[in-house]
Amino acid sequence: MSEAPESYEAAVERLEQIIDRLDSGQAGLRETLELCREGRELVTYCSAELDAVGEGLKELKLDDLAARLESPPEVA
Amino acid sequence: MEELPGPFPVGRYARKLQEELRRRARVRLVGEVTGVSRSKVQAYFELRDAEGAVPCAIWLDDLEKAGLPEGGLRDGAEVVIGGGPDYYPGGGQASPSFAFRATHVRLAGEGDLLARLQALRNQLRAEGLFELQKQLARPRLPKTIGVVTAESGAARRDLLAGLERRGWAGTVIWAFAPVQDRRAAPAIGAAIQELAAMPAVEAIVVTRGGGSLADLWAFCDETLCRTVAMLRVPVISAVGHERDSTLIDDVAAVACSTPTHAAEAAVPLDCLAARDALIRSAAALRRAGEGAVGTRSRHLVALARGPARALRRERIALNQKTREIRAASERGLAERRAFQRRIALVVLSRAARRAAGADADSKREALRRARVAFRAHEPERTLERGYALAEDGDGEPVTSAAAAIAAKHVRLRFADGGVGAEIDRDGGER
Repeated sequence: MSEAPESYEAAVERLEQIIDRLDSGQAGLRETLELCREGRELVTYCSAELDAVGEGLKELKLDDLAARLESPPEVA
Repeated sequence: MEELPGPFPVGRYARKLQEELRRRARVRLVGEVTGVSRSKVQAYFELRDAEGAVPCAIWLDDLEKAGLPEGGLRDGAEVVIGGGPDYYPGGGQASPSFAFRATHVRLAGEGDLLARLQALRNQLRAEGLFELQKQLARPRLPKTIGVVTAESGAARRDLLAGLERRGWAGTVIWAFAPVQDRRAAPAIGAAIQELAAMPAVEAIVVTRGGGSLADLWAFCDETLCRTVAMLRVPVISAVGHERDSTLIDDVAAVACSTPTHAAEAAVPLDCLAARDALIRSAAALRRAGEGAVGTRSRHLVALARGPARALRRERIALNQKTREIRAASERGLAERRAFQRRIALVVLSRAARRAAGADADSKREALRRARVAFRAHEPERTLERGYALAEDGDGEPVTSAAAAIAAKHVRLRFADGGVGAEIDRDGGER
């Protein structure tokens, strides 16, 4: 990927721009191919972001996390 | 120190202090009751809010006259008391103490709390604390959210249901805290700060179910609300029901009426719909890519075929022309040849005639004369005059008597035909 998107929303916004541009039919061949490549990368990124919050809810307790942080590291 | 007046006996000073305090104006105070205890004749408690506290005492007679419901004077109760400051100078054995002597007490009504809330609201708004959280960017798809709520309660369940409906299954860090009493506000404040300190946490939800304004009073705590306002992580509040409006709702980035709505505010993106939209986007990209290449390659193929077609067309036209030219030239050649032949014949005949010259005519005349002369000498002419010609068996002329005798048989040819004749060797002598 040329440059990782700042966030999911930034990626989606750019993706929408790309599709609008492609739909306009005004992009030349080189630009079209370039936009398609960028779009595919964005789709991959967004898909990974969605996968990250789609594989099962994880519930943690703040107290447990705090206790873990406070316990002294185990000495091998 | 020697310049100060005195020294006075302390007992006298204590009584003077009591007199002075009792002269102070009688007022009403509102706050939360904590640390209730009773003696045989009095009840003691502290009345406090976020800024401070005053130790209070009330004679049990006065408390009874107040007509509070059973257990009304309890820790966490919001009350209004009437009275003034007092000082107990102590005695030989008893310890001195200061207390606000309450003569009247009642539970704080919505009106009292709303008045306090309004005052706080005005103050915080004037300080611009309502705007800070609202200026924070809220991620549409957080991976981790923190939630402050009671460990047991419908709010927790409703929030999870809301998240599930969004199709969101990221990480939830639960920070359980009391949500109703004097300990609630500090515990909630501490939990929020701890969650905000975790880099992974992208949004914090603070939620509890409905209740009276007194029940929700912890969420109007000034310290808690100032803490929330200054956080750099967006806080989504869902406290009480739709009609309830707590101070935390004002300072939070988003105020929601229910935990379910809070789930939607914490995860603004509907993940299920987003996935569908993403699939559509991917398809649109694929179509655009294939379309762009396909259309252009078809165009290129057509362009590439163009010259070949044009060449073929030209070649056909050229061949046709060539055939026409060949046919025309052959035709022309034949005509020319025939013409030339005619010309040659004329020329040759003329030349021949020229070559023959004038003596040809005289030769022809001589020939005619010769032919007449020759005819005059032909034997047939002689026969016509009455002569006969003797011929032997071979048709050879017999021109002498000896030859005739030798031949024995001759044939006599007359002008009108021939007859055979026997030679009589003596016949000539008669």
